[in-house]
Amino acid sequence: MNWKNVLSLMQVERKSSRLIRGKKLTKYRESGFFAYWPYWAGLALGIAVGVLAGIIYNFTSTADPRLHALFQEGVLSIFLSLPTLVLVYSLVFTTMQQIQRSGVRASSQVPYWLPVTWQEHTLASILASLLGFPLASVIFITSAITIFSVFTGQVLTAVIASLAVLAAAFMASAITEILRILQVRFIGAVYKSSGRAAVWVRFIGSLLFFLVFYIIYFYVTSGGAVTFIQTIASAQTAAWFIPFVWLGMTLYSFTSGLLLQGVIFLSSSILFIASLFFFATLLNRRFGLYEPPAITISRGVYAPKTGFLGKLGFSTAEASLIRKDIKAFTRRRELMTIFIVPIVVILVPIMQSFGQTSTAIPPQISVLMLALPFLFPAAIIAMSLGNFMIGEEGQTVWRIYASPISAKTLVKSKYFFIIFFSIIVLAITGFFGFLMYSPSLRAIIVAYFEAVFLVFALGAISLSNGIRGADFTEIPRPRMIRLSWSLINLIACLLAGMAILAPFFPYALSFILSEIMPGLTGTALLDPLLAVVVSAIIAVVLTVIFYRIALKNAKELLKKAEM
Amino acid sequence: MSETFAVELLKVVKRYNEIVAVNQVDLNINKGEIFGLLGPNGSGKSTTLKMLLGLVQPDSGSVNVLGIDVQKDPVAVKQLVGYVPESPRLYEFLTGIEYLDFIGDIYGMQTEEKKNRITEYLKALQLEGREGDMINGYSDGMKQKIALISAFLHRPKLLILDEPLSALDPRSARIIKDFLHQLKRQGVTTIMSTHVLEIAQAVCDCIGIMYQGNILALGNMKELRAMSKLPDSGLEDIFLKLTGTDDIRAVVEELAK
Repeated sequence: MNWKNVLSLMQVERKSSRLIRGKKLTKYRESGFFAYWPYWAGLALGIAVGVLAGIIYNFTSTADPRLHALFQEGVLSIFLSLPTLVLVYSLVFTTMQQIQRSGVRASSQVPYWLPVTWQEHTLASILASLLGFPLASVIFITSAITIFSVFTGQVLTAVIASLAVLAAAFMASAITEILRILQVRFIGAVYKSSGRAAVWVRFIGSLLFFLVFYIIYFYVTSGGAVTFIQTIASAQTAAWFIPFVWLGMTLYSFTSGLLLQGVIFLSSSILFIASLFFFATLLNRRFGLYEPPAITISRGVYAPKTGFLGKLGFSTAEASLIRKDIKAFTRRRELMTIFIVPIVVILVPIMQSFGQTSTAIPPQISVLMLALPFLFPAAIIAMSLGNFMIGEEGQTVWRIYASPISAKTLVKSKYFFIIFFSIIVLAITGFFGFLMYSPSLRAIIVAYFEAVFLVFALGAISLSNGIRGADFTEIPRPRMIRLSWSLINLIACLLAGMAILAPFFPYALSFILSEIMPGLTGTALLDPLLAVVVSAIIAVVLTVIFYRIALKNAKELLKKAEM
Repeated sequence: MSETFAVELLKVVKRYNEIVAVNQVDLNINKGEIFGLLGPNGSGKSTTLKMLLGLVQPDSGSVNVLGIDVQKDPVAVKQLVGYVPESPRLYEFLTGIEYLDFIGDIYGMQTEEKKNRITEYLKALQLEGREGDMINGYSDGMKQKIALISAFLHRPKLLILDEPLSALDPRSARIIKDFLHQLKRQGVTTIMSTHVLEIAQAVCDCIGIMYQGNILALGNMKELRAMSKLPDSGLEDIFLKLTGTDDIRAVVEELAK
């Protein structure tokens, strides 16, 4: 194993973040400190959290000595569950990162013709997957627990836990590497045998895969984390035979004084990690150079379609742009996440609230809950699509630049696509909302109208920002929009959404007040239909203004057209 | 604006920070001519070609294509031009046929004409049978063929081709070369950039040699020979002499040490 080769390959991966639009590539200089800022930030934050937790621990333990033993026990159970928690967390994150990589294979193939062994290549790939957020979070956790342990007197346990956390992160990344290679080889075979259905197999398969991983991700990173830690701490010993918990079991055994058991689990963990690495290397050697087969979509005589878009008044150029984008969003793996994220954002709280909905939510509040299935998913989809519609073109944007496409054509087709997909999402989630909350017909109509207003306005706002902040970088993954413009768009959409829904705030307030103080009647300050009309006027004004801004931005984009 | 010129560049300058990519270039290209734009890497060829299509804005000077000011009406220019960039990136999630169908629609082609022409080109360039595959499964040569078809499809009046024959098999390369001559007879102007000097010598009526953002020499083979004072030489010797890179022997000897 040539460690210099491994480090060099990892450096290539790290430096891929340099490809940010607007950087002066002729004289690129990198600040050594800022290149590693996520790790410094993780360390600083970890130390700060450790110190703060330590101070709180000291204060409460001194105030009530009975709490001391209780805290010690609690801290220990957290330490013991950390390796498994980090394993699950890193596995989800590194897999998501891997999936979102673009289809550009050029950079990843370079090592294949260099004098690099498969072991070096595989190890570099495993370690490189950890770079960025996964490694920064591991640094944060290890520094926080080490500092905190100084206050609790559990330094040795914390150090061992930190080592176990690092090993768990490596284990997760090795599993991701194995999944990556298997995915290339075996999914390729599935596509080949699927024939014409391959696109749909891929679409549905990818959506399900994303859905599962996102739900786990949100569950682990949101309120479910505490429950998750508790579950791990209690279930770890029962599931001792599963290799993924062996690191946690090693810690548990040593801290419980079971030295022999600890040595066995430690040896088993090392063996398991080594076997994962060797298995990944073996797969890489076997399938690393595998080229997935081409997906054949059509056979036979070519017959151009006129389609229904022409009947809707779209020109052939506009219709072809819309059709192209529909194919992009159903065939490009990295774009499918756009449909998944808002759905999951809605699904997770709904799933979490399942146990509670039966316990008598007042009808007034239940009407407000309609926002969850009706307003949010469609609005989030409109916002996300608007954000990415231009940037998703990536390096193929030259085709738009070099074609006789005017700003009007570009904006019209992209805007229609946003509205089209958002309304489909609204129809689906609205149907589920109807099943879940059984609202009155009046409430359904109002909710649908408001959702449509949001879709039109937020779509226009996001498209205007998406054009302005478009980022066509594709390596290591498609960026689509610059972070600054993504944040600007988020704030703009938030403000616009509040403005459109503002006429309904008096209702919400009166509903809530009538619940808190039953003496008060839920008198509406405005007629609901009047509120809808006012809301519509606000939405129309915002839509018209931002559609015009989008046109102006598109003219600018096509004029500069720098590739 | 002259009726005889397909392209007129007047005192065109393009800078990238302190680097002058194109420096005060004056260039007229006749209608119905095959024009070869040659030059070493980084000499400003691709930038010049992109400026003809409005893909790069000149810092100063004017660019007229087929009688239209590119900066004033780029969409009108693009409608009349077929363009193949160097290493074209295509929509890899589309099939070959879907891509060409998209291109036909973008240029507003009639359905029947689009269908006929796509079928003819696919057959001529031996892509039949693979047109229903997604482009991400194509070889570089197949992608180049699709890019070339997409440039020819709408019968443009001007073709701008950056390294058009790269990655093509000999049969397809020959078809494209002969087809360019055929188009020339129909009055179509072609501007091509290439590093393969044999192709330029065989195909082009007029050749411009760019170096460090300037047009060093311009003319047909006879004029270039006279300019370089190499009466019996081929384009390679002329190119190397004019661009000051004729010290090849010394460089090779130094490398071989």
